[in-house]
Amino acid sequence: MIYVDGVTKEFKKVVKDSGLKGSVKSLFNRKYNIVKAVNDISFHVPKGEILGFIGANGAGKSTTIKMLTGILTPTEGRIEINGQIPFKNRKKYVKEIGVVFGQRTQLWWDLPLVETFSVLKQVYQVEDKAFNERMAFLNEVLELNDFIKSPVRTLSLGQRMRADLAASMIHNPKVLFLDEPTIGLDVAVKNNIRKAITEINEQEKTTIILTTHDLNDIESLCKRIVMIDKGKLVYDGSLTEMKTQFGKYREVNMSLFSNEDFDKLNFVSEFKVNDEDIKINRSKEKITVTFNSEKISISNMLSYILKNVQVKDISVNDVNIEEIICRMYGKEVSD
Amino acid sequence: MKKISDFINLYKPFTKAGIQSAMAYRTSFLCFALGQSIYCFVMYFIWKAVFMSSGESTFMEFTMADMTVYVFLSNLVGFLTNSDSTDNLADEIHDGSIIMRMIKPVNVDYSILTFEVGNKVMIITCIFLPVMIGVEIYRYAVLGYVAFSIVNFLIFVVSVVLSYLLSFYLNLIFGYLAFFLLNIWGFSILKGSIISFFSGALIPLAFFPGIVRTIFEQLPFASIIYVPTMIYMGKYSALELVFVLSKQLFWLVVFVVISRMIWGWAQKRLAVQGG
Amino acid sequence: MRFLRLYKTFIIQHIKKLMEYRIDFLTGAMSFFINQVTNIVFIGIIFSQIPNLDGYLFYEIIFIYGFSLVPKGIDHLLTDNLWKVAWFIVRKGDFDKYLTRPISPLVHCIIESIQFDALGELLTGIILIVIASVKLSIKFTFVNVVLMIIAMIFGAVIFTAIKIIGAAIAFWIKQSGSILQIFYGISDFARYPATIYNSVIRNVVTYIIPFAFTAYYPASYILRGNNPLFCIGGVIVAAMVLLGISLIVWHKGLNAYESAGS
Repeated sequence: MIYVDGVTKEFKKVVKDSGLKGSVKSLFNRKYNIVKAVNDISFHVPKGEILGFIGANGAGKSTTIKMLTGILTPTEGRIEINGQIPFKNRKKYVKEIGVVFGQRTQLWWDLPLVETFSVLKQVYQVEDKAFNERMAFLNEVLELNDFIKSPVRTLSLGQRMRADLAASMIHNPKVLFLDEPTIGLDVAVKNNIRKAITEINEQEKTTIILTTHDLNDIESLCKRIVMIDKGKLVYDGSLTEMKTQFGKYREVNMSLFSNEDFDKLNFVSEFKVNDEDIKINRSKEKITVTFNSEKISISNMLSYILKNVQVKDISVNDVNIEEIICRMYGKEVSD
Repeated sequence: MKKISDFINLYKPFTKAGIQSAMAYRTSFLCFALGQSIYCFVMYFIWKAVFMSSGESTFMEFTMADMTVYVFLSNLVGFLTNSDSTDNLADEIHDGSIIMRMIKPVNVDYSILTFEVGNKVMIITCIFLPVMIGVEIYRYAVLGYVAFSIVNFLIFVVSVVLSYLLSFYLNLIFGYLAFFLLNIWGFSILKGSIISFFSGALIPLAFFPGIVRTIFEQLPFASIIYVPTMIYMGKYSALELVFVLSKQLFWLVVFVVISRMIWGWAQKRLAVQGG
Repeated sequence: MRFLRLYKTFIIQHIKKLMEYRIDFLTGAMSFFINQVTNIVFIGIIFSQIPNLDGYLFYEIIFIYGFSLVPKGIDHLLTDNLWKVAWFIVRKGDFDKYLTRPISPLVHCIIESIQFDALGELLTGIILIVIASVKLSIKFTFVNVVLMIIAMIFGAVIFTAIKIIGAAIAFWIKQSGSILQIFYGISDFARYPATIYNSVIRNVVTYIIPFAFTAYYPASYILRGNNPLFCIGGVIVAAMVLLGISLIVWHKGLNAYESAGS
């Protein structure tokens, strides 16, 4: 369905000295830096799968999405989706995809929502019968009827996102690209959107590529994730596998009466573990110790701390996926 | 004295920000100036053709040199006294960021004004001075003597400051309309056309026939461009100067009062409806 | 055919939007109208003192002026969205939307918006042409009228092509509104006989940014019977050449955008 093979995207960035002098200088003598926003990534998505595409800000996520949707051309490598190459014969290609950019809307701002749909129907040349069936389905899943007659500018963020989702699917696309579809929404609305995405995927067998910063989105929607960092693909596999691989870490959060007390502790020598099994993060209010729970049991850890320092407050938590991502980058990419 | 220095300290950051934003937008700003000068040249050539066709050295008491100075100078004054407060204020009202001004311990109109003054610093150095020097060189080349008068120039400066404040408050009043209308784009454009017609930007008001000219000269718009330009050119007698300057002052007071009233009214409305 | 159907849909949407913003439309159209009145008063005042301007009578100048409004108005009516491309659509990244649609991005941009305010310009232009023609008792033959309409349409193409070039520059520098404004400002020269300008300006508006072909030259054919091959043929040639250039620039810009993004 989706084949991405050795794709690289380079940007030229103008190097500019600061200040007025710098601007004048760069007018006459431009220096460029080549930046690899995406660096030799490959993956494959079978039909009907929801793929979670994650990475920190600036990791190359949106550049990849833009290449997949045909907005940007790759510098090197090959992308094939539905047997087509996105940026070649774009008009034909985009008929089979739907795109939602969560941060901006494709709806007609000043007019009732229903008008946007009727324009899109023309743009994508959807037949009346297909259109009506489609609208009935989208209405049911996304509950558009409550606000379909209201001008778009009066919609709430959640309604607007539902409307944008519907707008991207009027033409029954085979592939759906959702770039941060839950951004800025509250928990209840997020759940609604997730439910709708699941339903669409199940009923229509639509292949979906989803980017998000909310890892709950990933947990509830995707079986498989692809993660990129600094333009490189750093993980491609199932979410459970990633969790078992990295889920052995726990963190202890504590606040002490006197932070100097903490210097008395030496986890590495106490538990006879390697440096990488322990990570300490100190701030004025809070100290966080992240540790490998397969090597150090939680009870040993707690009793060691409680015995040696005066604790005001303490708690033990799972390390969230964000943290795992950081750890992963630290271990496998930077080194 | 302390009051003044407090005022300066309070609003200095706004002016600084104004200068910085003018620096950031210098390209579009210089392009705009270039576009305006194209327009001046169109006018210049039309007047040249007019003088050629009439075969006389003056046209309604203006010489070709007068006309050239008028064309470039009136545009320059238009540039100096122009205020973007209508559109900026309307944008802030519509997206709600006006609240950010209201929660700061500053006066809303002064904060916008001092920001714009920062912009004007850039206009004066990059556009006003070079064009003014150009105009003076032209006058010297045509007339054969230095026509620049320091007294006229100082009175001109006073008059320009008054007309800028006048134009600022007029624009502010239009901006406040955004509290009551969904969109003020149309009004903003309409305001532009009205000002350019009645202010003498296109045609010196002196060219209009008797009664029309008298009426136009009393309207506030004349105070914005026509009056300072004519002062620069030394077209007024001492008595007339007192009269036109007090007219500028009068209209300024009127607009300040109106804008304060609308603002007070709008604030109440904001408090009741929550924006 | 499909294009026209699509255009119809967009126009209907726009009329609906217009109803939503009635006051805006009325005030906008009125201000364009006032602008025209101002310029005519200006011409009137000049002619109150002189019998002719560089050999042109009052109504001849009015005819040229009215003529200049029609191509400009047509272009303003149909392709105003290009201004938005130049000012902020590219800069804010909203251009991506057009690239995910199964229509040519240029066509999509253009048909998405219709600026009904331009009707003020168009109407004034036509009224001025009619009044001037009656006063000058111009004899309209079938050939004349056809040539005039052709000249107006191709004149509008000249405006559009220049706007496409100006908008496309935004693909490289993100925001090109102010550059486009300068291009556009040069069209002011077209309202009056090109003969009043010095040779540099005359050559620029004839051969480089050929705005003189949007009004003065075709109008001078109707008024004075000047060489139609140059006056009317020139409009067509200028329009086609410029349109070709503009499409090349647009596509180059699009390629640059595709490889650089925003």
